[in-house]
Amino acid sequence: MKKLLDIAAKASDQAEVFSIRNDSSSLEMRNGKPSDMSASIQSGYALRILKDGRIGTAYTKNLLNREELVSNALDSLKGRVEAGFSFPGPSEIPESWLPDESVSCMGFHDLHSRSRAVLDYLSRKIDGQIDVNSGRGVQDMSIMNTSGLDVSRKSSFMYIFTSLLFPNTETAIRKLYQSRKAADFPVEELDALADLYASGLPEVSIPTGRMKVVFTPDTMYTILWRLSQAASGKSFYNSVSPLQNRRGEKVLSEKFTLYGDPTDPLEVDQHFFDDEGVPARKHTIFDKGVFGNLILNLDYASKLGEEPTGTGYRGGMWGGETVALAPAPSLSCSRIAPGNVSFEDMIRSIDRGVVVFGVLGAHSGNILNGDFSVGLDPGFYVENGEIKGRVRDGMVSGNVYDVLNNIESVENRLHVSYAGGMYPSILLDDVSVAAK
Amino acid sequence: MIDRLRSMISGVEADFIDIRYEIKTETRIGFAGREIRNVGSNRTDGYAIRVGKNGGFSSATVTREEDVPRALQLAVEGAETIVATGGKKSVLADVPVVVENVELVLDGDPREVGIDDKIELLKKYNDLMLDQPRIETTNLNYIEIGREKHYVNSEGTAVSEEILTTNIAGEVIAKSGSLVQNIRVAIGGADGYNRLLSREDVFLKRAKVAAELLDAEPVKGGTYNVVLSPMLAGVFTHEAFGHFSEADIIEDNPSLREKMALGEKLGSNVITIVADSTMPGQIGYYEYDDEGVAVKPVTLMDRGVLTGRLHSRRTASAFGEPVSGHTVAEDMRFEPIVRMGTIYIKPGEMTLDDLLAELGDGLYLIDGKGGQTSGENFTFGAQYGFKVKDGRIGPMIRDINIMGNLFTTLQNIEAIGNDMELSERGGCGKGQLNIKSALGSPHILVRNMVVGGV
Repeated sequence: MKKLLDIAAKASDQAEVFSIRNDSSSLEMRNGKPSDMSASIQSGYALRILKDGRIGTAYTKNLLNREELVSNALDSLKGRVEAGFSFPGPSEIPESWLPDESVSCMGFHDLHSRSRAVLDYLSRKIDGQIDVNSGRGVQDMSIMNTSGLDVSRKSSFMYIFTSLLFPNTETAIRKLYQSRKAADFPVEELDALADLYASGLPEVSIPTGRMKVVFTPDTMYTILWRLSQAASGKSFYNSVSPLQNRRGEKVLSEKFTLYGDPTDPLEVDQHFFDDEGVPARKHTIFDKGVFGNLILNLDYASKLGEEPTGTGYRGGMWGGETVALAPAPSLSCSRIAPGNVSFEDMIRSIDRGVVVFGVLGAHSGNILNGDFSVGLDPGFYVENGEIKGRVRDGMVSGNVYDVLNNIESVENRLHVSYAGGMYPSILLDDVSVAAK
Repeated sequence: MIDRLRSMISGVEADFIDIRYEIKTETRIGFAGREIRNVGSNRTDGYAIRVGKNGGFSSATVTREEDVPRALQLAVEGAETIVATGGKKSVLADVPVVVENVELVLDGDPREVGIDDKIELLKKYNDLMLDQPRIETTNLNYIEIGREKHYVNSEGTAVSEEILTTNIAGEVIAKSGSLVQNIRVAIGGADGYNRLLSREDVFLKRAKVAAELLDAEPVKGGTYNVVLSPMLAGVFTHEAFGHFSEADIIEDNPSLREKMALGEKLGSNVITIVADSTMPGQIGYYEYDDEGVAVKPVTLMDRGVLTGRLHSRRTASAFGEPVSGHTVAEDMRFEPIVRMGTIYIKPGEMTLDDLLAELGDGLYLIDGKGGQTSGENFTFGAQYGFKVKDGRIGPMIRDINIMGNLFTTLQNIEAIGNDMELSERGGCGKGQLNIKSALGSPHILVRNMVVGGV
């Protein structure tokens, strides 16, 4: 990395090298049997150079020729992409924890035995098809720049993800468990999942209309995707955010607080700097309904005259190659603050409504405007405080700025979502539900 | 390269080994509004390995050549673990041994076009949209992706094939007060740069629709009879039916496998669906898949009867059905999985006017805005639409998402148009991105679809 940085520094005003190496493996068990085992060892290097107020970029997964990578970045300068920012210098960043050896050394047999334990336990409780996926990974990421920054973080994780399929369908109740160390899926969470599955076994038809709707943690990304886009520096810079000129205003219910906190000790991916080397910290977007802060990377912070927020990440909605993606504004390790109602009491408080456990089509629709219209996959129908079964062919629709002003209650606990982040369930009043 | 790959896998104790080495090239240019946001050309490479041993099957991918021995070791261990833990037995269907080098045929090689010319072309289309009334901004990208693939297996097959896709794609955003509306736009294909030239009409039309959407009314949620435009019917075909025709999706779900048995009458008499990646020029075009198997056209449904399925060598053997050459990876970071290439509904005989007259009252929904499937349930978004009353097109509507059940919806397809359109851009995200997923259809009339409104 240092050699590459030195070569790049000679050809530019400032330079930055980002490198990443992942070593991971996974096991898929479908319908009770191991069906796929795969392993991956991937590396990559991304180079950014600044020269005369312009930025050039290049990447490769396999650093065979440093001069060629620098040459690609210099060619990229010809595009005259403006950049008013500088790469950050060193700052006080806590020591990262080291990868846990129980994950580093975890083999296929260990993954299998932990997955098999989930399967065997759930098989004693339900009759339906049970699928279990599991995996482990170790990541080593470093950033070095000509401003003197030289940071790295190593991490390890393992996960078990189980799906309980309803009869004659792929519709399922799902749950993710993840850990920094080799660990087993907590039994109490499997018990709760099996109980939920049983309550959704009957299929029910419901009429089209407006009713109460609960978004559970695994479906919260439907709402947060829209809010994140609106609060992104990119949307503000291009003057297309519905939140434009509304900073400091109460735009959502006071029951809603959204923040990101990569430093949270409970976070499996706990980290202390973003993918541009800017220190990461708790960053609140909505505080009791009041819109406070934007989500920025270095570039948009500079363009909007704001301070960087430590929220520049090399990621995309659809995955993608980390080193090929430029750092973009992104709220990592997002959280919604808990409320004061248990999930059970929340269900009991519903006269007529739908609890959304999975959605189809969260990426469709006018995301920037805050509109959503998602298929229930599944959604459970509740009448007089009791779950009656899962809804046949139903959709829930609305606009986040409307529905988040009609929050009835927020659950008193956060759960890890398989779509990322930790959230409580949220009960919304008067939401449009379409059904056959 | 082929000889090097052969030597890498020689001596490994297994029943079957294959290795794919890829060089991937990317050129990307991006505009956000009038500002150029990124320009870059990059080249990278890597290896994907699969091993079959005693009925177990496993894979590993690595970036560096020095990690190939470790990848082989991990794949062997994975295959052995599957056997030791009572996992699924895999047998590969027999296929001819092929030694082939497929040349790339292009109408205008984008690699010979300078970056300045590409920026200029992109800027021209971008400015065209930005200059239209009520357009606030755009996100428009030039994307050129090449995959130089070299495949070798222990049976003797050795195939090299180069594929190259070029696209200009993005969105145009209109704004009025706090209301924001966006419309997607895409042109391109797998047959070269010239397809991107002189396409001003496409960009102008999309900007006009985005502006008109500001005055459209949100659709009211409920159950409607609908006419779907070719692109939207194509999304339905891809999302709802196509994924269910991918054998690996249903392989381990016994009840769904029973429902999807060949010979079952699943659709109405009017619908015939074909997967054909051999049509030159389409974004879905290729000759050999990532198992070294030549791709073949497959009639998946013939007048409502299920007649074919898309397979890997492993699933073809498990189902006792013919291989189809549909096992494709995003790039060298992934093992190949069963994918659609170009899927479409065959045209019928009715004009659009005939279909609208047959519809009577309902909705005319136009162009896809993403879709998703989970088993037999699907959703997809429409970019815009119109109310239809007595067969006549009425006011414009927006915020349209549709949900349905595959089996119900296939039976509810009542009529097929005589027109036909195929998409110019792929982008299916079944675990890995498939930029070569083309889709298409004529206009179709479907009864009783659930439409979620805002």
